[in-house]
Amino acid sequence: MTKGVLGNDPFQRGAAPRAGDAREDKADAKDSKKASASKGTKDGAGKGAKSAGKVRGAKGSTKSAQGPKPPKAGKGRSTEAKPAATASRTPAAAVHKFEARGNARGPASQEHEAKAPHATREAQGGKRGHPGPDGVEESAPTARHPAEHARGAKDVSGAQTGKHDHAPSRAQAHAPPGDEPAPLREPATPRPPSDAGPTRPREFAEEVRAMRPEERRVDRAMTEALASDAAEAAAKTAVDELLPGQQGQDRNIERVLATELVAELAESAVRQVLDKGHGTASDDRDLATLVATQVAEATAGVAVDEVLDRHAAAPKERALSTAEDGDAHDLDEDANEEVWTADAWQRDPDSVPVNVPEAAQGEDTQEDEDDVWTADAWQRDPDSIAPDGDDLPEGVERGEQDGVHISVSVIAGAAPTNVEPEVELPDESHDELPPSRRIPLSLVTEEGAPRRDDPEQDASAFARPEEAAPAAGFAGRAAGMFSLAREIAGQALASEGLGRAVGAMHGLMEAVRTGLGTGGGSRLDDYGKDAGLVENLQPVLDFLYEQYWRVSVEGVDQVPHGAAILVANHSGALPYDGLVMSQVLQRERPDLLEARWLVEDQVFHAPMLGTLFNRLGAVRASPENALRLLDERRPLVVFPEGYQGASKPFAERYRLKRFGRGGFVKLALRTGAPIVPVAIVGAEETSPLLGRIPGGFLGFPSLPLTAPGPLPAKWTIRFGEPLIMDGLPPESADDLGEVQRLTERTREAIQAMLQALLRERRSVFSG
Amino acid sequence: MRIAVTGANGDYGKLLLPRLEADPAVESILVLDTKEPEGTRKVEFHRVDLTRYDAESELTDALTERPVDALFHLAFLFGPILNGPLAHELEVIGTMNVLTAVGRAKLPRLVVPSLTAAYGARGNNPALLRENSPLFGCPNSRFVNDKVEVEGQVRAFRERHPDTRTLVLRFAPLLGRSLDNPATRLLTQAVVPTLLGFDPLWQAVHEDDAGRALHLALRADVAGEFNIVGRGVLPLSGLIRQAGAQPLPLPGPLFRGALRALGVMGAGTLPVALLDYMHYSWVADGERAESALGFVPLHHVKDAAAALRRSQS
Repeated sequence: MTKGVLGNDPFQRGAAPRAGDAREDKADAKDSKKASASKGTKDGAGKGAKSAGKVRGAKGSTKSAQGPKPPKAGKGRSTEAKPAATASRTPAAAVHKFEARGNARGPASQEHEAKAPHATREAQGGKRGHPGPDGVEESAPTARHPAEHARGAKDVSGAQTGKHDHAPSRAQAHAPPGDEPAPLREPATPRPPSDAGPTRPREFAEEVRAMRPEERRVDRAMTEALASDAAEAAAKTAVDELLPGQQGQDRNIERVLATELVAELAESAVRQVLDKGHGTASDDRDLATLVATQVAEATAGVAVDEVLDRHAAAPKERALSTAEDGDAHDLDEDANEEVWTADAWQRDPDSVPVNVPEAAQGEDTQEDEDDVWTADAWQRDPDSIAPDGDDLPEGVERGEQDGVHISVSVIAGAAPTNVEPEVELPDESHDELPPSRRIPLSLVTEEGAPRRDDPEQDASAFARPEEAAPAAGFAGRAAGMFSLAREIAGQALASEGLGRAVGAMHGLMEAVRTGLGTGGGSRLDDYGKDAGLVENLQPVLDFLYEQYWRVSVEGVDQVPHGAAILVANHSGALPYDGLVMSQVLQRERPDLLEARWLVEDQVFHAPMLGTLFNRLGAVRASPENALRLLDERRPLVVFPEGYQGASKPFAERYRLKRFGRGGFVKLALRTGAPIVPVAIVGAEETSPLLGRIPGGFLGFPSLPLTAPGPLPAKWTIRFGEPLIMDGLPPESADDLGEVQRLTERTREAIQAMLQALLRERRSVFSG
Repeated sequence: MRIAVTGANGDYGKLLLPRLEADPAVESILVLDTKEPEGTRKVEFHRVDLTRYDAESELTDALTERPVDALFHLAFLFGPILNGPLAHELEVIGTMNVLTAVGRAKLPRLVVPSLTAAYGARGNNPALLRENSPLFGCPNSRFVNDKVEVEGQVRAFRERHPDTRTLVLRFAPLLGRSLDNPATRLLTQAVVPTLLGFDPLWQAVHEDDAGRALHLALRADVAGEFNIVGRGVLPLSGLIRQAGAQPLPLPGPLFRGALRALGVMGAGTLPVALLDYMHYSWVADGERAESALGFVPLHHVKDAAAALRRSQS
């Protein structure tokens, strides 16, 4: 009942939008004998959720009764699953957590999960009379769960009728490794497109549409690169941890080989996951990384073993490292052996979801998070299973992630007991080794604490036949080469440089549009600075600042807090200097408020240039604006030379012009803000003024004839000692003599610094 | 409280009347207009045509017969002005009549709306225009210059009649589904021509905010001018986008010529003067309205524009 209740609310919430699906589902449910319509059934169930819940309860009991085949399994169920209410909740909760981490869309997925179990149960239960937990889990009979498959081979479970019980059985069931993969995948693959296809797009249509194919491709490349990085890292850690116990000359080689193997596995898993993904890039990325790491960690053990085998390393080594493995092998055959940890990667039929049912060991609970997990862990009860079935819907909701679920199932009491670790790895080429490494596991868990799955996965035992090893030989190598090539390509695509270049292009385009007057922009302040545009242009600004102009800054510490007037020489035909000054202050003095610079009317009102500069933070030079900015206690950059300064012929570079009428001194006197002289060297050579073109028709007095773009001169900016207006009353602003004196003092200070800088400068371009 | 309202059928009147109706302190509303507003309960209708020569005495009679606590002079035109002289008559001469009548009746409070556009969009405007900035108006626009003239009259009136608390609310362009003014007409086009290379900052007031500001003026203990602006600013292109249209940048001379041609043909619904406002920013500082009048805009410019878009569809 509780399950029903649990499932209902979310379900109803989610149900409305999917009326269509629900219908299908119902139909499916009817047809469900085939159980092919797992998703549909889920949804349908959602509608009938309450009733379903009840039914379940009943079924649950029946199940437990029925679940006779694996007695242990039955027990497991009864203990865990039967208290269906709790069970159902816990899994759901677990799922939530999972999703929350993986995706931001937690709630939706929850709903689905909650629904799914019901639906599946109903459908299957009704038809089969089995409330079988497995059936629920696998809403698709196709046997997502390796456990079931495994069983299928051995038990009747292979027959769909038997499946329901498998949930518990799964845990215990030792899947014959060979059998598992094949049945799982084959049925699975055909299905997902049909079922998932329609529903997902509908739900996420918006998001999906938002991405264009090229974007998706790039995203995917980036995601893969990320994932492979993550996988490699994880693999290295895992392998390192596994290997140290073994010593030998070959150890290094082994390590490398094992790492490679693991990385390959992880990458292929990621690729499969991604193939299914339609969602947003970020989600994909998270997911891919997650999957990669998990797979890597999970497979590390196998890989190490394999490598060791290949090397025919001394059996002793193996014995050391995999003493438990050997046991596991034995156990595998028995099917009910004790493998303390079992991680099974189940590939959903869709291959979309990667279910990692992990058998919880008593030890899994090392960390709080882990505990939660285990607690939430999917109990192999039908209920718990159900969520698995839900993976698909979740996937749908997530969009790209397409229901890649990693579910951790904890089998209560599993600690010493029968948990069959079934690992279905995407690559079958890999050998399956019975893994059970506690030590590595625990270590990994601690390190990988952030990941919910990590510990368990590490611990996960791979029950894999070692026969597979030979296959790894050639095919494995080829696959390795292929994945390497892919990785290189992916990284090239996703490299930081390219990303930056794309970002920069985007920013420049936006700047052009802003200049033309079509940019829009929504994050403007009162002065017209568009924070969004500046952000988008930041890659360009960074490049100019760091690599192109190599701006070096001296004495920036002298800029006092609060209002300050930074007086600088204007230079160059195009006024880059204000922009660079604001960047300097932003980078070197993040403790100050955002600086603004004043530009003369001629620039401010020039078409395009003025608009663009305004959006980048320039403010028209006027006493009102300056006063207001100083009132806000911002540093204020002024260029008292004004337009004259920017239109000096190249021959007169770095020779200061008249400092206007001393407006900045009056400002300083009125507000008490200190004046900081600043010398800028390099700007003149960046855009030398070679001549003028009459430009009246564009609103300029003249158009500067200069280099087509900024030249890579090295910039040096030196801040001088602040002139503090102590002892001068605000009224002295009206004393022209005083103003003149201060103006001249400032001018001389700047000119002196300029001379010094020019003397120190050996080369215009290299500094 | 008894309130008199001129121009109750205009845009401002439509925003204010419902609020007065809902205000329990307002007992009756004396509507001085040529047409009785519909759907009102508290309204006493007194027919006055502000453009008639005898409007002043009629107003004085109406206002002195039963004293009112405040007069909202809202009789201003915002629709396409086909008859310029009539508009001038209504706004300038009508205001003169109203001011004279208010002076005679010694009303305690007078509220007159105006426009931030009266500051004029000029290259050397400060980044934020305070209330004490001079009103330059717009050389080509009778629409704006009439408002400037009205403001001059009101200022003179305020100096002569310190007992009458006179508030002038300078509104940024009003945007709202029920309004018809040059800004809404501009923004409801599918493609809005703009000036190539210029993207001035615009402000706007959501109609709800405007109604609230008018209502606040009924009780405020302050006098003088107030800029009533929405939160934030948007570049014109952004405003156009928000309103669901597309900006189309045109070189200035071409644009000007096109507008003139349309105006001559009588098809133009946009005043040529708008060009100035597409060229330079005219951002008013709403700080005084916030601190003195207590008017805090609830809507961002974006919201105001978006409301316009919704009303279109």
